[in-house]
Amino acid sequence: MPTNPATVRTVDCPRCGAPALSSFRFCEACGAALRDDAPPARRGTDWVSSTAPPEECPACGGTAFSPEGYCEGCGQRGPTGPDRSAYDLGLLAGVSDIGHRHQRNEDAMALGVLPGTALAVVCDGVSSSSRGDAASHAAVDAALPVLRDAVRDGAGAQKAIELSAEAARVAVAAAAGPETGNPPSCTYVAAVVTAGTVTVGWIGDSRAYWLPYGAAPVCLTTDDSLANELIAAGTPPADAYAAPHAGALVRWLGVDADDGPPKVVTIAPETPGRLIVCSDGLSRYRSAPAELAASTPPGAPLPVAHHLTKLALDAGGVDNITVVVVPYPPAQSGTTPQPDARPAEPR
Amino acid sequence: MTQPAFTADVYQNQYLAAGATTVDAMVTVTATGDGTGAVPAGGAPSAAEVIMIDCSGSMGYPRSRMTEAIKATGVAIDTLRDGVLFAVVAGRSMATQVFPGNGMVAASPETRAAAKQAVGRLTPEGGTAIGSWLSLANRLFAGVDAQVKHAIMLTDGRNQHESHETLMQVLRTCEGKFTCDSRGVGGDWVADELRAVASGLLGTADGLEDPAELPAAFRSMTESAMGKAVADVRLRLWTPASSTIRFVKQVYPQVEDLTARRVDVSPRIGEYPTGSWGAESRDYHVSVQVAQGSVGEELLAARVSLVDGDTVLTQSLVLANWTDDEALSTQINDRVAHYTGQAELASAIQEGLAAREAGDEDTATAKLGRAVQLATESGHEQTAKLLNRVVDVVDAPTGTVRLRRDASNVDAELTNVRSVKTIRVKKS
Repeated sequence: MPTNPATVRTVDCPRCGAPALSSFRFCEACGAALRDDAPPARRGTDWVSSTAPPEECPACGGTAFSPEGYCEGCGQRGPTGPDRSAYDLGLLAGVSDIGHRHQRNEDAMALGVLPGTALAVVCDGVSSSSRGDAASHAAVDAALPVLRDAVRDGAGAQKAIELSAEAARVAVAAAAGPETGNPPSCTYVAAVVTAGTVTVGWIGDSRAYWLPYGAAPVCLTTDDSLANELIAAGTPPADAYAAPHAGALVRWLGVDADDGPPKVVTIAPETPGRLIVCSDGLSRYRSAPAELAASTPPGAPLPVAHHLTKLALDAGGVDNITVVVVPYPPAQSGTTPQPDARPAEPR
Repeated sequence: MTQPAFTADVYQNQYLAAGATTVDAMVTVTATGDGTGAVPAGGAPSAAEVIMIDCSGSMGYPRSRMTEAIKATGVAIDTLRDGVLFAVVAGRSMATQVFPGNGMVAASPETRAAAKQAVGRLTPEGGTAIGSWLSLANRLFAGVDAQVKHAIMLTDGRNQHESHETLMQVLRTCEGKFTCDSRGVGGDWVADELRAVASGLLGTADGLEDPAELPAAFRSMTESAMGKAVADVRLRLWTPASSTIRFVKQVYPQVEDLTARRVDVSPRIGEYPTGSWGAESRDYHVSVQVAQGSVGEELLAARVSLVDGDTVLTQSLVLANWTDDEALSTQINDRVAHYTGQAELASAIQEGLAAREAGDEDTATAKLGRAVQLATESGHEQTAKLLNRVVDVVDAPTGTVRLRRDASNVDAELTNVRSVKTIRVKKS
């Protein structure tokens, strides 16, 4: 009679010594993790991203691209991702849009879920750097799986965000290749939303807003801008915002940047609400938390993300727009929601 | 000697106005070796050297010309490192081998001494047929196995005992087989001939007014040849479909148009010979005509690599971005501007001197005036000084000059042969 492999006893729990079966991931007795080889996050099922490498050149139809992303036939720079994308993972949803004025969508987002936990990373390619989209797209794709696996393995949200930012930094450096003049650079903002806490970490000027129902909204992030540095050094805010290059970034991800950790803020909200993680394509039009809250309708995350994206487009859409909406507290279902990996309908 | 590390830096304004289709870029290629100079330690590529000495009758007048040439050849022989294959050729209306009796021989204390003894017996008699000398050198090189094959050619006169076509035919045969530096001594050599040899065989050309300068010149050419670490480096250029290459020029240390030297590798890729490299730095001007792009589009206009066989030594990208921001598109890259001026300076001198020789004084005055203006603007003092030997400068900034009646043949030939030497952008 053949043996059912699931019933073969192969291990004892290393912590308490209780017998365990090979199919067990956790000890039945003490709950310790039995396997440290939990499968890494899989794109498409565990997480999704707005990035998608081009399969063929939109200009000439060629299929060979140089490592820097140029078509080997006609030399055109291939797109690093679609102009517009939208994803709905149930616990959160996001929309990224090229806007009206830019030729490429240099924003990127990646969304992931764990049971009862929503994860998001948004990066905005610095347009004054070369190939900013190469940086932002490499960054989110490297950051989200690391963020998800670290949270799953119990690293804690702050540590997970730091590990994820470091992974993004390494990926951005790899995207730069030998380029030293004006290497690809991007911002970074990540969010971990659990049943009890909202944690955000950032480098640059992409933002995270906490919009509670029936309480005062707040911007959790502080732009890493020259103006904020001046204010921190004692300059009156009015003077700081009027300074030349007040909005210039002082921190970013790129081989030409300092490699300090992201700033991290954790809150334990007492009321339900929404976390909005966005690029400055949205925040330039609704910078004050109260303005953004007033413009954010109630509803499921995807329609809200579309609504805010449209608002930015209607206001001018001068930059790429990326909006991720995370309802709080996350829905508590017994199973991991199956992400819908198909991009939602374009606007 | 360690394999030199190559770097390629691109200087360009990648921003094009809507409708613009010309992409110009300067590529500075630098090879950094161990930097110790002439005699590399073990691991240097194998080398072969042929020294061609003009022994025509005129070399005897003044006597010092032949004796300095003999001395210079001895210095070159002494500069060869042990084991380098070498031969000495006496050039007259025909070429004769001076040492060894035939073929080439490895340098050693014994062969150097024997070679110098043979060279010391050379006597000036007969004519000048440079093509026949190069043909013999080519046969000698063909018979040996060496990575770096280099020749020195010294003449004191016009190539009058064979036709110009014969010389050009020989040069085409020798192309890619060895590199050759050409030197003229005395007052009767012809700059165009020296430059044709150096240009075809990827070497340098120059004239020496005083025979006493010969030994130092021979030492320097041999040291440079002994310092070569990679023998056959080619500039590889990828350009996009529906683009055309306007030109590919070396622009530093001297102007050398490589456009016609292209060897196709594939429809998108061609290679241009650059000869052998030691620790040195050269600048190239690549100009590509691309299809018109729309504002916001970004194009890879060229990929420039230096290759040794199929090994890519270094690589850089030339980009084009179309923009409606005039502040960006109207910027002129200072290196592109500088070398465009240096290339024009070289042709203005050559055309001006050709017109002068043909008796067309108006064209000569205009061209040489323009040359004075360009030399002054770019701060090219050596060339400005040479131009002073053929024209009286009335006003340099406007290029107002008068042809000098007292200019000698050697004044004109020296100015001509050095016209291709460029300087780098001065820091402002």
